[in-house]
Amino acid sequence: MISTGNDIVALGSINKQRTCEPRFYSKILSVAEQQLYRQPELAALPFENYIWLLWSVKESAFKYLKRNNHQLIFSPVTINVLTVNAHPDQHYSGSLQFGLDSLFFRSIITNDWISTVVNGEDNFEYIFNDVQLIERDDYQYQSATVRKFALDKLNAFFDGEFELEKSELSYPVLVKNGERIDTPVSLSHDGYFVACSFNFNPTVQ
Amino acid sequence: MDRNAILNELKKVLAPYTENKELLNGITEETDLIKDLKINSANLVDIIIDAESAYNIEIDFDSAEKMYLVGNCIDVILDKMNQSA
Repeated sequence: MISTGNDIVALGSINKQRTCEPRFYSKILSVAEQQLYRQPELAALPFENYIWLLWSVKESAFKYLKRNNHQLIFSPVTINVLTVNAHPDQHYSGSLQFGLDSLFFRSIITNDWISTVVNGEDNFEYIFNDVQLIERDDYQYQSATVRKFALDKLNAFFDGEFELEKSELSYPVLVKNGERIDTPVSLSHDGYFVACSFNFNPTVQ
Repeated sequence: MDRNAILNELKKVLAPYTENKELLNGITEETDLIKDLKINSANLVDIIIDAESAYNIEIDFDSAEKMYLVGNCIDVILDKMNQSA
């Protein structure tokens, strides 16, 4: 299954106090995922950022899976994050499971955002993921800007003239000369940030 | 409380997370929270918690995942209210 899924969380938009209330985070994290936070290598990561890190992983995984499982409904506790590894410069990686599907993630946390991309194998050599700061945070602007951002990246990367359409199931589809291209693209926006990912594995070009 | 009364109360729960108030005023049971109201998915947990407080109910995982259409939200809220009655 070739797909991609990404997510961006604007940390300026989160309610830290509510996030850290058990009745809030227990609707996102399983008991096992709450225990995973206790590992020493995550000691420097604030709990609210851990919760939103796992949210972004689960949302990215949902987008990855939805492309091939059209009936899927987003339910955070049914996507199980199994491992979270901390790396230098606030980079994180790990693995997750949904039913029989095993997935992997890469995330970056800055002072302003959490960005995650999910892939079907633990090799991100062919995965592009990037974030851009934008001027306004209303939905129409976010939506238009994230499409322009993705197309600018795709056109530069592939030296082509692409367009983005929305599939019947609301995921983005890349189009060139009126024909759909099999390169999976994922878009996300939150607050003053937009992000896009695409899978440029040559076996699907 | 009938479905119409829950719908009106639900509009108040959704208001802080809905940018377009005109769309919110015109919602029906077929309205999709994310696709139609453009609610950020990151706010879905907030909406569930606010609904729990507004209706004095507890919404479990299985029920929460059904709450993507306004009509589904009303079904879940009615079901939980009846359980706690």
